[in-house]
Amino acid sequence: MNNFYEKLLEHDLNPYFIFNANGKILKFNKEAEFLLNYVSIKELFNLAVDNASQDFGFSQKFIPLKFNKHEYYAILVGYTSDDEIALRLYKVVSNQTNTINSDKLKLVNIFSLIELSKNTTLLNSNLKIKEVYDISLPEMKININEFLLCLNECFKYFIEDDEITLKVKMKVGEYEVIDNQKYKIMSLLFSANRMVKGDHTLEEKANRSNVNIFFSQNSIKLELPIIL
Amino acid sequence: MKKFIAESEESKKILNIVQISSSLPVNIIITGERGVGKKLLAKEILPQAICFDGKLLENSIINNTVNIQQYKELIITDIHLVLNKKEFLANLSNIKIIATAQTTIHDIEEQFAIKVNISPLEEREEDLKIISQEYINSANKIYNTNITLDNIHLDISQNGISLKKSIYKNTLLNSLNSEEINQALEHYIDKKLDEQKTYKDFLKVIEIPLLNIAKIKFKSQLQMATKLNLNRITLRKKLEQYFGNNHE
Repeated sequence: MNNFYEKLLEHDLNPYFIFNANGKILKFNKEAEFLLNYVSIKELFNLAVDNASQDFGFSQKFIPLKFNKHEYYAILVGYTSDDEIALRLYKVVSNQTNTINSDKLKLVNIFSLIELSKNTTLLNSNLKIKEVYDISLPEMKININEFLLCLNECFKYFIEDDEITLKVKMKVGEYEVIDNQKYKIMSLLFSANRMVKGDHTLEEKANRSNVNIFFSQNSIKLELPIIL
Repeated sequence: MKKFIAESEESKKILNIVQISSSLPVNIIITGERGVGKKLLAKEILPQAICFDGKLLENSIINNTVNIQQYKELIITDIHLVLNKKEFLANLSNIKIIATAQTTIHDIEEQFAIKVNISPLEEREEDLKIISQEYINSANKIYNTNITLDNIHLDISQNGISLKKSIYKNTLLNSLNSEEINQALEHYIDKKLDEQKTYKDFLKVIEIPLLNIAKIKFKSQLQMATKLNLNRITLRKKLEQYFGNNHE
């Protein structure tokens, strides 16, 4: 019977995690696995601990959460011993599925696009860019026009800075599901020597180019599926 | 000029951008003042592409006098003059476009992932030097002269357009001998005689440049009168007639 409950939870649209006392994940379902692409384990563990009831038991809280495109309206936190704590997030239901218009995708070298966007946007700028590139990345299919517009906007965001670091790499062990197919993820991390804040134009351009964008402290991260 | 001159740092970067983008399926917009070399740069990207004036092409599309879908790539000049830009570009959605414009156009930014702005020639000294040299070489060849750039006042008010004009004009003027000047004058007089011009009017054409240069060269009226072997009272009268009382 236990096995049946586990299977039920495994196929649930709402993600769940069970952590040990040190914040290590002991169990999680498919949805939780995808969620981990956008949020750190530490952040989720803290969310559970911060919202746990004072005594053993379960507590539900209605709090709006958003991790990239994924929105949640409530959480359930429960623990019956000091060894384990469970977190379940309740998804805001949306009919939107992750799709991509493959007609507009063209096989391209990502570094050519970065070079092009950098040169175009920073033609008369003094911004220095420290480039840390994983040059083993393969050519991939991208909507070039939309992605360039997004990249241009990223460089424009830092145009007044003195120096930034741009790291381009493939994420290990993380995937994005589009049209029921799993794709590896490539990330572009722009880090500056200052705090960055969300930018509506940039978010809009990222969404249009099927790129996930994250703003955190001093960096902007773009993530896109590696479609070969 | 047959190719885009890229000697300055900025132009080299621009050329690099267009070389990378030439193989990509993205639209490019090149902005800049009149005569900075927008069309030449566009030709660097798509050397085989047909070139259309934006406004004329818009009219042709509206009047259905052009089968635009037959083209895979196009150069469209002066796109800033197109009236309904969004609709215009919607008709060209499957075509690679290199557009030129004299101003930045904000409402069609999304259609052009690559934007390049070419600075005026006065800000591109290295380019100006090479371009001027190419024009003077070509002008010297045509007029069989040996004029150097030091002898010429370069007009870059309209970038390459006025620069070329000023170099060719100066080279031509420097190349004329007295016989050719006579021919030019005869041609001028022939055209103007029907316009009820008097003897005095034609005399003016000769005397004004003569007195102008004499003023610069000889400085004082005494010297001018002596060198030109002209009566001082006559000289004074003529100076007053052509240059007013402030002729000094």
